[in-house]
Amino acid sequence: MDEEPERAKRWEGGYERTWEVLKEDESGSLKATVEEILFQSKRKRVIESHGQVRLGMMRHLYVVIDCSRSMEDQDLKPNRLTSTLKLMEAFVEEYFDQNPISQVGIIMTKNKRAEKLTDLAGNPKKHITALQKAVDSVCVGEPSLYNSLSLAVQTLKHMPGHTSREILIILSSLTTCDPANIYELIKTLKSLKVRVSVIGLSAEVRVCTVLTRETGGSYHVILDESHFKELLMLHVKPPPSSSASECSLIRMGFPQHTIASLSDQDAKPSFSMSHLDGGGGSGPGLSLGGYFCPQCHAKYTELPVECKVCGLTLVSAPHLARSFHHLFPLDAFTEIPEEEHHGDRFCQACQGELKDKSVFMCPSCHSVFCVECDLFIHDSLHCCPCCIHNQSGP
Amino acid sequence: VIELNTVHFETLLYDINSLCVCVSPSSCVVCVQGHGVLEMPSGTGKTISLLSLIVAYQRAFPLEVTKLIYCSRTVPEIEKVVEELRKLMEFYSKETGETNNFLALALSSRKNLCIHPEVSSLRFGKEVDGKCHSLTASYIRAQRHSNPNQPVCRFYEEFDAVGRQVPLPAGIYNLDDLKDFGRRKGWCPYYLARYAILHANIVVYSYHYLLDPKIADLVSKELAKKSVVVFDEAHNIDNVCIDSMSVNITRRTLDRCQNNVDTLQNTIQKIKETDAAKLREEYRRLVDGLKEASVARETDIYLSNPVLPDEILQEAVPGTIRTAEHFVGFLRRFLEYLKSRLRVQHVVQESTPQFLKDIFDKVCIDRKPLRFCAERLQSLLRTLEIADIADFSAVTLISNFATLVSTYSQGFTIIIEPFEDRTPTIANPVLHFSCMDPSIAIKPVFQRFQSVVITSGTLSPLDIYPRILDFRPVTMASFTMTLARTCLCPLIVGRGNDQVALSSKFETREDFAVIRNYGNLLLEMSAVVPDGIVAFFTSYVYMENIVASWYEQGILENIQRNKLIFIETQDAAETSMALEKYQEACENGRGAILLSVARGKVSEGIDFVHHFGRAVIMFGVPYVYTQSRILKARLEYLRDQFQIRENDFLTFDAMRHAAQCVGRAIRGKTDYGLMIFADKRYARADKRGKLPRWIQEHITDGSLNLTVDETVQLSKHFLRQMAQPFRQEDQLGLSLLTLEQLQSEEMLKKITQIAHQT
Repeated sequence: MDEEPERAKRWEGGYERTWEVLKEDESGSLKATVEEILFQSKRKRVIESHGQVRLGMMRHLYVVIDCSRSMEDQDLKPNRLTSTLKLMEAFVEEYFDQNPISQVGIIMTKNKRAEKLTDLAGNPKKHITALQKAVDSVCVGEPSLYNSLSLAVQTLKHMPGHTSREILIILSSLTTCDPANIYELIKTLKSLKVRVSVIGLSAEVRVCTVLTRETGGSYHVILDESHFKELLMLHVKPPPSSSASECSLIRMGFPQHTIASLSDQDAKPSFSMSHLDGGGGSGPGLSLGGYFCPQCHAKYTELPVECKVCGLTLVSAPHLARSFHHLFPLDAFTEIPEEEHHGDRFCQACQGELKDKSVFMCPSCHSVFCVECDLFIHDSLHCCPCCIHNQSGP
Repeated sequence: VIELNTVHFETLLYDINSLCVCVSPSSCVVCVQGHGVLEMPSGTGKTISLLSLIVAYQRAFPLEVTKLIYCSRTVPEIEKVVEELRKLMEFYSKETGETNNFLALALSSRKNLCIHPEVSSLRFGKEVDGKCHSLTASYIRAQRHSNPNQPVCRFYEEFDAVGRQVPLPAGIYNLDDLKDFGRRKGWCPYYLARYAILHANIVVYSYHYLLDPKIADLVSKELAKKSVVVFDEAHNIDNVCIDSMSVNITRRTLDRCQNNVDTLQNTIQKIKETDAAKLREEYRRLVDGLKEASVARETDIYLSNPVLPDEILQEAVPGTIRTAEHFVGFLRRFLEYLKSRLRVQHVVQESTPQFLKDIFDKVCIDRKPLRFCAERLQSLLRTLEIADIADFSAVTLISNFATLVSTYSQGFTIIIEPFEDRTPTIANPVLHFSCMDPSIAIKPVFQRFQSVVITSGTLSPLDIYPRILDFRPVTMASFTMTLARTCLCPLIVGRGNDQVALSSKFETREDFAVIRNYGNLLLEMSAVVPDGIVAFFTSYVYMENIVASWYEQGILENIQRNKLIFIETQDAAETSMALEKYQEACENGRGAILLSVARGKVSEGIDFVHHFGRAVIMFGVPYVYTQSRILKARLEYLRDQFQIRENDFLTFDAMRHAAQCVGRAIRGKTDYGLMIFADKRYARADKRGKLPRWIQEHITDGSLNLTVDETVQLSKHFLRQMAQPFRQEDQLGLSLLTLEQLQSEEMLKKITQIAHQT
């Protein structure tokens, strides 16, 4: 298993009695226990069934990245900043993949100040390029929790009540330099229903514990790089929305992608409205086709977006559908030991032979899957292929 | 051994350690009426398990154990015990459904209990005592009959008139409850409490009330014999005993004493003119001797007073000091003699018999009248109706000294130093009359009460306490913590990154490399430890040197980038200010370092829970200042009398203070903290073996003699591990038990096993 995620270096970790985990079977072979260990590591995925919880589908998330001196620490390779930014890129992609109608903004804090790297926006490309640029920035001084929180709140507090307001702080430093009493700010955050979560890169800091406890967020401290990634990915899933948040109907536009045919003489290439702020200016600005707002006919090359002219949220139907699966998560498959399973010897999905010690069965259609397929179905597909097949079949 | 089900706990979750206390042989301390020594880490329910055990016993056999006397060190600790007790009682009444008639109360000094508007506004304890005395003394109150303008305390009057007849209703009273009750009724809470302890079931107070003979005589002498006495946080009990029996006399004391004697003389003159009968009456009483006290002691009502040995009581006060003038003359002579002794140019050390011989030769003072000095003075002060006793502290001190010096021929030494060692040019003569045997002060306690339990978080090595306190314990036990996760991480740092050995020993004290490496250690730790770090040095002088040197090397500046720095000073007000700011800085995420001194205020009474102390760094081994003559004399005495070698005692003393400092960080099972011992000498078996068991068992071979770098790596790893979510459910079944788990056969076996191991 070479592709096993790189843990902390052996000599950095604690003293482990690895040999005590292994036990010989009757024939004196270690193979069984080794396989068991590998199997367990695959199955490590947390099975949490939310039940029927209301989830915030439209999320507004500010990610605060600490760029203080301590980010130069090399316990994450090559250093904390580079590693964080790289994981953030993956996070942004995954985030928009899972929450297409949500928005993200990035704030960096260093030298006792906080500044916006990107504004709240729904375009992953913009964020990713900004993140890539930020790799070269120097890490100096101390972070300021207060400044970054208040900067984020300034924007978040204007967000409508039916959307979630979230802040995710990636904090490497153990100190913060605040201009005023942070406990006052925490009260304000609480009253504004802003949910603040923190991922600590070094150790548990008291303020963060209080901050997250008060605002209902989560607080985690990383163990190593792979744990960091895991923790970050936890935030991809939308949090349960509080019952107090208002619900309202939202106007949305579903523009069709139209391409003026080249034969049409009247068609002229035009700029997309999103190029107006010049931020997303990559690729040719002029194009023939695009999405046209059904209300004001402004043109956009990418969805989802909020119309610059009339403020309508423009999405496409697949986007909504993709957000949908959070509401109805696929039930966990039941694990059955292989001996007890009688029937098909092949996985329904990959058609491979079932060799592992246990197989997984979909509770509704009773199809059997192997571990890998089970993971793939729950993590990526979000629906059981056999159930779908049965529905459409007859 | 008591049945488990008679022991109740305040929650439905049972702490495994507390259970061990209850089933272990130590519980027989109460049953077989012997004495015991218990070591148990703080935060594992030591107080509650002892309380519930003894209360359960008290309920089961009300005639065997009539009273629990719980002695703690500071007022906050006393309050904590009362709160635990309140929880326990609430649980009792909830479980049994009946209201119980337990009376438990806390007692503290007048300063903490006074509700008189003028008196309670005074700042110092002594002033409050003096003022209170001037309002409540019996002759003052008698004077009021003739002179209605004489001010008295209305709370005391009210209490005296009504309060004595009405017993305090059953319940749990802490200091504030007593004050409230006093205010409601208009009774003096202090006297109410002092009166109520006689019939209370549980009394919580400071251990001076039992150990200091002067106070014990006033407060505790009438406590019932069938009591259980618990000394909590008792790792320093020998020093408390010694301090309570030692006297230091400086030239200032003597000057003030001179004034006192003059005042006495004048007052006697005045009284002689107006009321000679009073003095005659006193004379008659003295001829009869101190019979009253002796009768009382024979009938076993009183706790005996070590200052006032039994033989004295049988005798009449000797004729030479029977009349007031003669006594004052006697005091003058004694005073002059002491003055002449203080005029020496070189250090003198002598035993008490030598001193007595010398005083007889020089000023013809016999041993016998000296022995009666303290009693005689008290009697005189009473007769002369002197209201403000606080003014007479100097002469009281001298008379106590006289009585002690003539009573004990062993266990005491007299050292006269013309100047302090550090300032040989400034004359500041001091006469130390120093007690070397702590067992003298505590003896009456062991003799009188049927069981005495000495307990603390850090008592290792256990066997030394019975030896120096001279008693035979029925049980000695050291409990460890049963933990669901290893929440403490003791590391011994022996080398700097440049492989220079780290040590605070005398030869390398000034070594630049050592100081720099200590600085580096603190600097690197300040970068990886969140919130609060507490660093302990061996002495104020050493701390000042090191901090000055760090400042020159620019280390301080670097540290300040990570955390703020606060320093403990010898000034109490300044220190409490620093502490307050330190806690604020920890609270709001700035992070802080507190530099303090082992044996100082911070190391003794103050807890650094959770984020207030994520790491404790102990720079060096906190040996006591070994050049002190008092210490040398004590060591010699220990060697001769108890066969304890000097080095053993010094190491024991240093290690208990180190453990005490380091133990500040862990105050419970949910807490976690690093314990860093920065001295290579800690790695040696003789030092390591003297740490409490609950620390020792976490020191692995891998954590000995680390370099600074390795320490930082290990700390980082530990802190990350500890920051992972930890819930109460994780502890269930391991270190916490539900009722069902508790009753399971298997668990019971396990508990008994752990209990008997210890």
